[in-house]
This record gives sequence, C-alpha cells and structure tokens, in this order.
Amino acid sequence: MSRGIRINEWLLMYVLSVVVALGVSSVVVEATGGDWWPVLEALVEGSLLAPGRWGETLGVAVPLVLVALGTVISSKAGLVNIGQEGQLLMGAAFAVYFGFLLGGPGVINLVVVMMAGALGGAVWASVAGLLRFWRGVPEVLSTLLLVVVASQAVGYGLKQQWLLLEPGADRGNRNQVSQQLASGNRVPRLDFFGNQFPVTVFVAVVLALLVAFMLARTVWGMRLRMLGHNHMAAHRVGVSATSYGLAALGVGGAFAGLAGAAMFAGGGFSFGNYQLGPGFADNIGWTGLLVALVARERVLVVPAVAFVFAGLRTGAGFVNSTGVESRITEVVQALLVLALLLPPAVVFLRTRRQARSVALLKA
Amino acid sequence: MRGAGSHDSEVPVVELCGITKRFGDITACEQVDLTLHRGRIHGILGENGAGKSTLMKGLIGLVLPDAGLIRVNGQICAIHDPLIAAELGIAMVHQHFSLVEHLTVWENVALGESGRLNSTEVRRSIEEIVDLYGLEVDYDAQVGELSVGLRQRVEIIKCLCRDPDVLVLDEPTSVLTPDESAELFSTLREVVAEKGSAVGLVSHKLDEVLSVTDEITVMRDGRVVASMLTEQVEAGHLAKAMVGREVALSSLSQGSEEPESFKRVFKQQASPLRVGVAGVVDTPVLQLEGVTGRGRGQAMPLNNLSLELYAGEIVGVAGVAGSGQRTLADLLSSLVSLDAGRVLVNGTEVLAGKPGAMAKAGVAVISEDRHDSGVVLEMSVAENLFMATPHRVARCGVINQAQAHRIAREMINEFSISCSGPEAPMWSLSGGSRQRVVLARELAASPDVLVAAQPTGGLDVGAIEYIIECFQQAVTTGMAVLWISSDLEEILSLSQRMLVMAEGRIVGEMSKAEASLEALSELMDGGSQR
Repeated sequence: MSRGIRINEWLLMYVLSVVVALGVSSVVVEATGGDWWPVLEALVEGSLLAPGRWGETLGVAVPLVLVALGTVISSKAGLVNIGQEGQLLMGAAFAVYFGFLLGGPGVINLVVVMMAGALGGAVWASVAGLLRFWRGVPEVLSTLLLVVVASQAVGYGLKQQWLLLEPGADRGNRNQVSQQLASGNRVPRLDFFGNQFPVTVFVAVVLALLVAFMLARTVWGMRLRMLGHNHMAAHRVGVSATSYGLAALGVGGAFAGLAGAAMFAGGGFSFGNYQLGPGFADNIGWTGLLVALVARERVLVVPAVAFVFAGLRTGAGFVNSTGVESRITEVVQALLVLALLLPPAVVFLRTRRQARSVALLKA
Repeated sequence: MRGAGSHDSEVPVVELCGITKRFGDITACEQVDLTLHRGRIHGILGENGAGKSTLMKGLIGLVLPDAGLIRVNGQICAIHDPLIAAELGIAMVHQHFSLVEHLTVWENVALGESGRLNSTEVRRSIEEIVDLYGLEVDYDAQVGELSVGLRQRVEIIKCLCRDPDVLVLDEPTSVLTPDESAELFSTLREVVAEKGSAVGLVSHKLDEVLSVTDEITVMRDGRVVASMLTEQVEAGHLAKAMVGREVALSSLSQGSEEPESFKRVFKQQASPLRVGVAGVVDTPVLQLEGVTGRGRGQAMPLNNLSLELYAGEIVGVAGVAGSGQRTLADLLSSLVSLDAGRVLVNGTEVLAGKPGAMAKAGVAVISEDRHDSGVVLEMSVAENLFMATPHRVARCGVINQAQAHRIAREMINEFSISCSGPEAPMWSLSGGSRQRVVLARELAASPDVLVAAQPTGGLDVGAIEYIIECFQQAVTTGMAVLWISSDLEEILSLSQRMLVMAEGRIVGEMSKAEASLEALSELMDGGSQR
C-alpha cells in the first residue's frame, strides 16, 4: 500500500507526456506550413544554449518562484487563491508609487520598493481574505475577479500623474507608463560567462528554503497545514480559521506582490524595462500558479519547475523568429504546459482511488 | 437451532472457497471458506480488521478477491460488480448506509432500478414488504430527516424489495438502541422463515451473534479460526477464539455466567470524590448551565441542558443516536457556539465555539468520529500527537525534531500504538491505533475533564479493554470523565452516575445503585418519541 510513486515512474511519465506533446506540436507546426525541427531547436537555443539565454531564463524564473511560493502557502491552509496575476500587478504598482514617493539612496530605495511590492500584494489578497472570513464570499471567486479590478485600477493609476504616470510628460497620444527606475536603484545584476541575471535569483532560492522550513518545522506551519487538512481538528486545538486563513492569504499575496516588485526593479528587458506599463504582469501570475500546481505544493520542487516554465517563455521568443506564426508558437507552448500538468493529475487520480480502497479495507 | 431442517441434503446457496485478498502488504483475507445455507442466519464474528467486511464485500462484488472462488447455488460465479451480485440475488445492508439523504424513502428504494421510474409500483412493493414484516415507514419522508434506526429500516426494505436469496448485514446494530436491535433481529427471523433466505450477519458483538444466529464463523487476522453451530457454543470459548487470548468484558454479561474481572475493577471506586478535604463541597470541574444552541448540520440542538461533573468521577451520558449527544460533545470540543447558557470549567466561564477555548481550559475530547475532528490523516503520527500542545516540543515557534521524535516514540511505546514510527502518516494506521493516538494526545495534555464520545465505536474488544483501563487510571489521578455513549451496557458497567439524554436535554439521572438496563432504556426511548 505505497502511496508514494517511485522516482523513475515519475520520470517515465514526464518523458512520455513531453514526447507526446512534442509529437503533437510537430504535427501542428507541419500542418500549418512550418518546419518542426527548427522550432524545437529554437526552443532549446532560446531558453538555454544561445549566448546569455540561461541567465535570461533564470531572471524570468525569479517571479515565477515567488508567485508559486505564495500559492503553496495559501493552498496549504486549504484556500484556493487564483488571483496572483492581480496581486502581482498591485505589488508592482505599490512598488512604483512608494519607490518614487519615498526616494532614498540606492539600496534603501530598493528595499522600500520590495517591501512596498509585498505590501501591495498582501493588501490585494487580503481584500479577498476579508470577504471570505467576514462575509463568506468564496476566495476562488473573489481573488479571480480582483484580477480584473487590479488591472483596471492600475490602468487608471497610469493615467494620473499623482499616482503612477511619469510626471512632466503630458504630451498626448503616448504610452501610459511610469517613470523608469534610476539605474542606481535597480537590482544588481551578476555576470557569468556572458549570462546576466539579477541577484534576486538568490533571494528566491533562500525564500524557497525558508518557506519549506517554515511549513515543515515551525508550529505556525504545522498549524497552517492542520487547518488545510482538517479544519475541525484545527479548530478544536485552537487554530482559528479566520486568523490563520487571513494570514495565509495575506502572505500568499505578499509573495505575488514581491514578484511584481522584483519584475519592476530587476526584470530588465524581460519585464517592462524598469517601467510599469500596460500589460506589465504578462501572465507571470497565472504561470506561477501553474508552477505551484505542477510542483504539487512541494516547496523545494518549485524552483526547478519554475526554471522549466521560464525556459518555455524565453524559448518562445526564439521560436517566433523561425517564421512560425506566433499563434502556433503559443499552441506549442500550451501543449508543453499540458504535458507537465498531466503526470501530477494522473497521480492525483490514482492516489484518490487508492485512498478509497484503503478506506474500504479499514471500514 | 431454528433453521429450516437439515442443510446437508441441499446445495448451499453461497459457498466461498479459499478467498484471499491482499491490500498491498496487508492481508485482509487468507484462504477463507464460508458457506451460507437457505433459511439460516450465519454469524461472522471477529475483531476490527479481522477481514469480515472485506470478505462480504468480495461476495457482493465491491472487492475483487486475489484468489479463491465463489459458488452460488453450486455454480461458480465471477462477481466483479455489485450488479452481478444483485442479479444473483445477493443483497447487502452496509455498515455506513448507502442512502441519498435528499431523496425520499421510495426514491431511495427505487434507486439502482433501471428503466422508467414508476412511483406507484415502487410504493406498492414497499407496502408489500411493510405489510409482510411490519416495518412501518413513511415512504414519502425525506431520508435525511429520519432517525438512524429508521434509515436502516429503509436500507433493509431496499434490499428486501429485490427479493434476495442472500442477505448480508454488516455490523447492523452499531447505530441502534437495544430495542431497535431486537426489532431488527425479529425482522430477520421473519425474513428467514417467510422466504427461506440465507442471512450473513457480520458483527463484533458476541452477545448478539450468540442470540440470533444458527451458525457462527469466527475470523481473526484474515483467517477463519473457528466455525460451529451456535447451539454448541460457549461464550468464553468464542471470545477467546475471536481475540486470541482470554478477555474480560462486560458485553458478555447478558446471560453469561462470567461476572468478569472487569466489573471488579469498577466496584473498587464506588463513590465519587465529591466531598473534598474538610467536608467542603468541591466546585464541579465542569458545569453546564442551561446551555442551548444549534448543532452542526442535521445534529440535534441542545435544549436548556445542565449538568455537573466532579473531579475523580466517571459520569455516563446515555442516549439514542439523535438525542443531542453529538452536539454535547461538539460543544465541549469548541465546535459549536451557544445561544444561551454558560459552560464553566473549574468555576471559570469558557467561551463556547472559540477555537481551542475548551482544550485550553482543560477539557480533552475523544471525539465520536475520529476523522471529523480527532486526527489529521495526512499528517504524521508525531504531528498528530503534538497538535494540541505543540509548545511541548517547540522553542520560539520552531519544532525541535529530535525532541519531538523522542517524546513521540515514548508515547508510541506507552500506548502500544502500532505504526512504523513517529513519521508514519496517520492514514497508514488502523482504526484502533488511530484511537490510541487520540487517547495518548488527550491524556498527555493532563486535562481536568476528559470527554469520551462513543469512544469504543467501531473498536474491537482488545482496544476497548485498553481504553477503559486508561480511563480507570486517569480518574484515580483526579480527572473527571464524561462518558457519552449509546451503548447502555458500557455505561452501566463503567459509570458511577448516569445521565440520560433525549431531545437535547438531560431527562434523568441515576446512581449506579438504582440504574438498570431496563430503566435506562425506558428513559431513553421515552425521550425519543417524536
């Protein structure tokens, strides 16, 4: 009665589903008049092999890791937060607003930006949290709908100079973007063999370790998990669903907000070039949610999965240059994401069936 | 003894030969043989996890045996689906009912039929059954609104409507009052007499198997350890076969000549230590004053309930299912809040419904449904042991893993919890071991009050014996025990004072001296007439 799946079984499943996805992708590419081999080559080149690309991929992975960590925390408490995209955008907006409002020299400003980002995400997620615990609004709905509100609110802010819009530039018909972060206030970048990446990479890894430790080895983490698994038992021993639930959503949102701030202050050309503008979040919130799903809520697996998803993103840029239509590239990308989601889904169904037979036995 | 004549001459209706079933490393059934004859009730007796239920599930196609074969009316059958079993005329009344609460009685009976739903026809067939066996039931009532006893009646009607040759009942009396059980058994007798059906009765209760069956098969650890005609059986011998050693238990008390060491233990503490030092009357450790409040879901609300519990006594709260016992336990688990009344622990008011308030005040609970609020299946044994008092093994909010494992190992040894270690996931433990984990955790908090809600439900005699021993030990240290149960004999033999609960209130109190099974039973039923 082993509930655990052996590692080679996992590998086999992943290899199989990726191969199938690549097969279907190649058929799609060929059918639409493209060549599948160059597409595949471009994907690998663009994410790993071409000069400077793996650094780029690392940089993209940072916000994905942060978003996924927050998602894991919320879902450990049994809450389904799917509004990371909006929380991330709000985080970025807070980071921009407070970063320029408070100013300050280099590193201090950077810290302000990061903290403001976390605050923004936390506030946005807490709106859903308050609705959930005061009025019983399902957090699945509220977090999702707040994504739309966030994007409208930030859009409004980007039209107001006293909020986010770059000051002194009121000529008409221009992009509504924020001021650009001064070069001294940006996240420092490291250079390895021509690969540049922001130091937030290390921050993300440290945070992943920290979250893993917190969930597994602290009383708070244990009580949070208890709440997620059995809220009755948790209630009886004194875990308040309201305070722990609010905290879990808030911290989850803070991570998404931090991701937004990290994209703003350290994303470089991958994300808005140190400026907040329309379409800034660029699906990083949604992708981060997928990362958490594929990692099946295991914190230490999150960075690896995030790197793979980041690779799909950076690789797609190169695929576009092969002349294949961008819609088709997106189909290929989506198929590969599906391939990564399939094994966890299969295992989920299998454990559930197994659990049922165990229950039958115990009955 | 009441069977339909000699059964050697005819082909048995069901023959199970060498049935073996494994779930992973666990062997549920090993080479089990069992024969059911027409017109006879066959008791399948054994402790929890002995493989009784698995065996029966194999017969009706819910479990596919790994080896062995099944003959129905002499023909070898592959029953890999309950539908096949139904076609062969085998029906089962499950331990956990398979009724849809939101549907009416007749709709539930019709469930599983194919073709057009003809309500008049279904009602007519229900009426036939009702007339034949006197099973009164309102077939337009919603099942969710019926008492547990009535639900089981519906379940039985559902089976009988299909006119089965073989009727299997899995622990049918675990939710019934003594009167309801007696009624059930007389119905079974009628079914056997009228239709000549074969009945398989799965149970872990010795006395009921002894009183209603014609033949008995005893299972232990997945094997048949004894098989005999009921008239030739001795109770003591049967208990020994079932557990594998000598046992002393009150549930044998009906008509058996063994007063048991069990009872002797209880007599040693005849009177509660209500009068403290210097003759001053103690304050009760637990006091409920006119508590009124809704229960969770469909549970009976509490209706102006008052009770007092003093240090060092065991007080039994008797009542049928649906009398509000569950809500009382929920109240003391902080799971429900109150509309009126107060709860005082050691003279201090405790806010009902506030997370962890009762536990913090010193009220430990062994809950009726372990999986509901007792354990977290997905977490480890160690975590389950410390979830109420994590600060015992943590410093500054960080859990000291080495210390946690050391203490957990001590508790595992002390309470003989069978598991692979402190890190074993809770779901990998058997029901009895899970209950021991709960017990270990709740006692470790050294509470003032221990609330035990149906603590022996679904447990085998060995585990029950152990739990009772623990409670005995606990009261000697001044702990007070509130024993909430629908098992009257258990309450009678254990408690020094008995309260009877009905309709969310305490309707009567008796001392050990004046209490009897009949008196308690009368009070319980009197209160439950609705």
